[in-house]
Amino acid sequence: MRNQMAADRLRKMLAVAVVIVLVLMGRMAWLQLYKGMYYGAQADGNRMRSNLVMAPRGLIYDCNGQILADNFSGYRVGIQPLRKPDDAEISLLSRILAIPEDKIRAKIKKAGNSYETAYLKSDLSPAEITALEENYRDLPGVSLDLQPIRRYPYKELAAHVLGYVGEVSGAQQAEGRYKGLPSGSIVGKDGLEWIYDKLLRGTDGRRTEEVDVRGRIVRELAGQSPTVGKNLVLTIDLRMQKVMEKAVDEQLQFLRSSGWAPNAFSCAVVAMDPRTGAIKAMVSRPAFDPNWFVNGISTTNWNKINNNTFHPLTNKVISGLYPPGSTFKIVTGAAALDLHKVTPEEKIFDSGKYWMADIGNAGGEALGWINFETALAKSDNVYFYEMGYRVGIDNLDDYSRKFGFGKKTGIKLPGEAEGILSSPEVKKQIYDEPWRLGDTFNAAIGQGFTLATPLQLAQMLSTVAENGVLHPPYLVEKVVNEDGSTYMVPEKPKAIDLGISKETLQLVRQGLASVAQEGGTASYLASLPAPAAGKTGTSENPHGRDHGLFIAYTPADDPSLVIACVVEQGSYGSVSAVPIVYKVMDAYLKNYPEPDKKEAAGTN
Amino acid sequence: MLKRYMRNMDWILVMTILALTGIGMVLIASATHSEAVATGTNWYVHRQALFLAVNIALVIFSLRFDYRLLKRIALPLYIITVVMLLAVMLVGKTSLGAQRWIAIGPIVFQPSEFSKAFIIVTLAAFLDNKGDFLDDFTDYLPAVGFLLVPFLLVLKQPDLGTAMVFAAIAFSMFWTCGFRVKWLAIMGGTLVVAMPLLWKVLHEYQRNRIRVFMNPEMDPFGAGYHVIQSKIAIGSGLLMGKGWMQGTQSQLNFLPENHTDFIFAVAGEEFGFIGAALILLLYLVLIWRGLHIAMNADDRFGTLLAAGITGMYIFHVMINVGMTAGIMPVTGVPLPFLSYGVSSLATNVLMAGLLLNINMRQTKLQF
Repeated sequence: MRNQMAADRLRKMLAVAVVIVLVLMGRMAWLQLYKGMYYGAQADGNRMRSNLVMAPRGLIYDCNGQILADNFSGYRVGIQPLRKPDDAEISLLSRILAIPEDKIRAKIKKAGNSYETAYLKSDLSPAEITALEENYRDLPGVSLDLQPIRRYPYKELAAHVLGYVGEVSGAQQAEGRYKGLPSGSIVGKDGLEWIYDKLLRGTDGRRTEEVDVRGRIVRELAGQSPTVGKNLVLTIDLRMQKVMEKAVDEQLQFLRSSGWAPNAFSCAVVAMDPRTGAIKAMVSRPAFDPNWFVNGISTTNWNKINNNTFHPLTNKVISGLYPPGSTFKIVTGAAALDLHKVTPEEKIFDSGKYWMADIGNAGGEALGWINFETALAKSDNVYFYEMGYRVGIDNLDDYSRKFGFGKKTGIKLPGEAEGILSSPEVKKQIYDEPWRLGDTFNAAIGQGFTLATPLQLAQMLSTVAENGVLHPPYLVEKVVNEDGSTYMVPEKPKAIDLGISKETLQLVRQGLASVAQEGGTASYLASLPAPAAGKTGTSENPHGRDHGLFIAYTPADDPSLVIACVVEQGSYGSVSAVPIVYKVMDAYLKNYPEPDKKEAAGTN
Repeated sequence: MLKRYMRNMDWILVMTILALTGIGMVLIASATHSEAVATGTNWYVHRQALFLAVNIALVIFSLRFDYRLLKRIALPLYIITVVMLLAVMLVGKTSLGAQRWIAIGPIVFQPSEFSKAFIIVTLAAFLDNKGDFLDDFTDYLPAVGFLLVPFLLVLKQPDLGTAMVFAAIAFSMFWTCGFRVKWLAIMGGTLVVAMPLLWKVLHEYQRNRIRVFMNPEMDPFGAGYHVIQSKIAIGSGLLMGKGWMQGTQSQLNFLPENHTDFIFAVAGEEFGFIGAALILLLYLVLIWRGLHIAMNADDRFGTLLAAGITGMYIFHVMINVGMTAGIMPVTGVPLPFLSYGVSSLATNVLMAGLLLNINMRQTKLQF
C-alpha cells in the first residue's frame, strides 16, 4: 500500500518514536550523569553497613591489682537508618526492647542518612536476643553484635571515684572534648572515667561490610581494629574501701534507727597517706551504682537518683562544703603557737563563758585553768576564742591559706569545690557588712564563714602529721599497658613545706593525741591497736541537726593514715563520725583481718 | 526462492533483533547470577536461549508462508484470544495479585503476551476489511467494539499494562488509517470525564501504583520500593557503569524483578549511560525498520500489521524504560527482547518475523 496519507502518518509516528527515545535518553542522562553521584551514594548506603567496633575500655585496678572496673561481652542491637524501617518494624522493636517508639525514631533520625548503624540498646537479656532472632525476618535492618560493656563489679563501691560511662550525647558530640565522636561511642561522664577518658577509651575500630537486601553480610569491605585503652592503677586500697563503705552504711543506719540523727543520710569520708598524698579510700553517701549508666539509665533508676534530696551523684568528699567546726582549732592553735601568742604552758581560765563577749562552751561547761593540750583535747571554746583574739583575723587567714583552705587541693576529679575562707573581704562580699570582733571569735572555732571540703580537712591534718609538709592528694599511681608494662606514671603533685615550725606542730600533735585518749573527745580511739590522734568537730547547720566531724591519723607517733569524716546532720562528731574512723583504722592497723578477705572473694 | 529470501531480507532488522536478544541474554545472566551460583545452573539464560532458538526456527519456517494467509484465520484467532483470556480468568494461576498465567501440562505461559500478537493480526484484518469506509469517527466504532471484549478481559485479570498495550496497538493502526487528531482530542476529553469511573474500576493495588508513581517516597517498601531501587541502580551506573555482574543493586538483590520488568535498570547500572543509550538507539533502529516496512508494504493489511507491531514495540519501550527511570507508572510491561519471559520473547520474535515476512513480499518498485 503506497498510500501517501499512510506514509505521512507513519513518518509522524517515527518522529514521535524519536522524541520518545530522546526523552528517555535525556532521563538517563539526568539520572546517571547529573544525579549520578547522589544515586551512587544511595547505592552504597544500600549495600554498606558500618559498625563501630568498640575498643575494650582500660581496666581500673586498686593499689594491689584488684579490679575495680572491667568489661564483659554483651550483645548490642543496632538498626540501619538508611533502610528506613517502617512503622511495623519500629513498633515490634519497641515491644521487644521495651524502648518507646519515639525514642527509637529519634535515634534513627540522629544517625541520619548514613550507613552508620544506630545503636538502640546494649547488654541485651537472653530473652531479648531470642525475641530478636525469632523476628529476624520482620526486622530487616536490625543487627546484633558483641561488644565490650563496662562493668563495675563492686557496684556502688568507690562510685564517686570511678565515675561512670555512657553513650556520648548529642550535645557532647557538638562541642567539648567529645566533639565529633561517632554516635554510639561510650565515653567517661564523671569521676576518673571522665578525667582519664582519653587513656581509658583507647581507639574504637570500625567494620564496614557489604550486605545484601536481607542484611546478610556478603563480604567485609574495610576495617580498622580497635586499640585497647590503657589501664589505671589507683592509690585506692580495695580492702580499706570496703571497710569504709561498710562502716559508713552501718553507722548511718545506726544513727537513723537509734533516733540520734534521723536525717543522717549523707556522709563523706576520705583516707589518705599523709606521707605521699595517695588517697586510700573515698566514700560519699548516698551513692549510686555506676552500672546503671552504662547502657543508658532507666527511668526507674534515674528517678531513684533524681528524687533523692541528698544528691547521690555528688562526691561530697570534694564538693561538699561544711563549716569545719572544732577541727579548725588545729589551725587556730597552730597559728597561736607559731606566732608565739601563747606558750604551751600558759594556762587560761575557762569559766564556761568568754569574758569578752556573751559566748562560751556548749552547755556552759567550765574547765577552769587549762593549757593548750587540755584545751585541744577537750575542745575548749573559751581557750580558742582567746587564741583567735590574740592571733587576729589576718594571721588566722594567713594560716588557713597555708593549710590549704579556700583553694582546691588539685585532686584529679571533676567538681572539686574551693571552699570559703572566713575573712573580712569574704564577709563584705557575701553580706556587705563590716568585720566584727565576734566574727574573729567564730572563725577561731571554725563556726564563721569558713567552709571546707572533707578532702581539705584531710589535707590539713596530713600536713600536721607530716610535720608541715603538704603532699597534695592524688588518685592515680600509674597508667599501664594491656600487657602490664608501665605506660606512664602521672606526675605527682609537688610537696610543699608550709614553713611552720616543727615545735609548733609537735605541740599540736601532742594535743591531738590527747583527744584520742582517756578524757579526750575521741577517747573511743584509745582501744585501737596503735595510738591515734585527731580532732572532733560539730558544725552548726541552720538546715537541720549539726554535722558531725572527725579528722584523725594513726599511728600517732608515725602517721601513715589520715582520715577525715563528715556525717551530715549526724550531731556530735564524737558520736557520729568517730565510730566510722575507728572501724577503718582498726581494720587498717590489723591489716584487714579474715572476714573481709572472705567478702573480697565474693564479687558481685 | 532462497535467493529471493536473502535478497529481500531486512538484514538491519535481523541484526538489531539479534543484538537486542543477545544483550538481553547478557543482562539476564547478570540479573540471575546469584541464583545461578546458588543452584549451579544458569536456568534462566538457558531457557531464554532455548526459546529464542525455537522461535527463530519458527520464524524461518513461517517465512515460507505469505503473511496474507493470516487474514483467513483472523476470526479463529480472535476467538482463540477471547477463549484464552477467559481461561486465564477461570483457571489461571495467581501471581502478584493478578491472574496471568495458564498451565497446560508442564508449559506455563502468559496468554496476555500472545494476545497482543493475536490482537494485532485480527485488528489489522478487521480494519483492512473496513479500510475503504474509515472516513468518519463512527466508522471506527465497530473496531473499538471489536477490541473491547479482550480489552475488558485483560483489565479484569487485572493487567493494566496489557490493556494499555491493546489500546496502543489499536491507536497505531487507527492512526495509520487516518484517524483524526480532533477525534483523539474528543476521546481524550471523554477519558478525563470517565476518569473517576475508571478509578473505581481499578484494583486497589493498581490505584496504589498510580499513587506511588506520583510520589514514590510515599511507600518506600511497597510499590514505590521498586522505582526507588531502580532509579538508584540506573543513577549509580554513571557514564560507564559498574561493569557486568558488578552492579551492587542487582547483585545484592536490592533491585526486585531485575531479570524481568526491571532489566533495563540492570543495563543502566552495569553498563552506564553509554550502555543505556546504546540499547535505546537499537530500539530506535527497530522502530525505524518497522515503520519503513509498514510504509513499503504491498497492501494495506501488511501496512496495518507492521504499524501495529511497531506501535506495540514503541509503547513497550516507552512504558518499560519510563517505568524503570521513574517517569512512568509501574504497570508490569516487559521490555521487548531484553526481559526474561518466554511468552513475551516468543511474541516479540514472532512479530519481528512477521515484519520480515511483510518486507520480503513487497514488490520492489525498482527492478
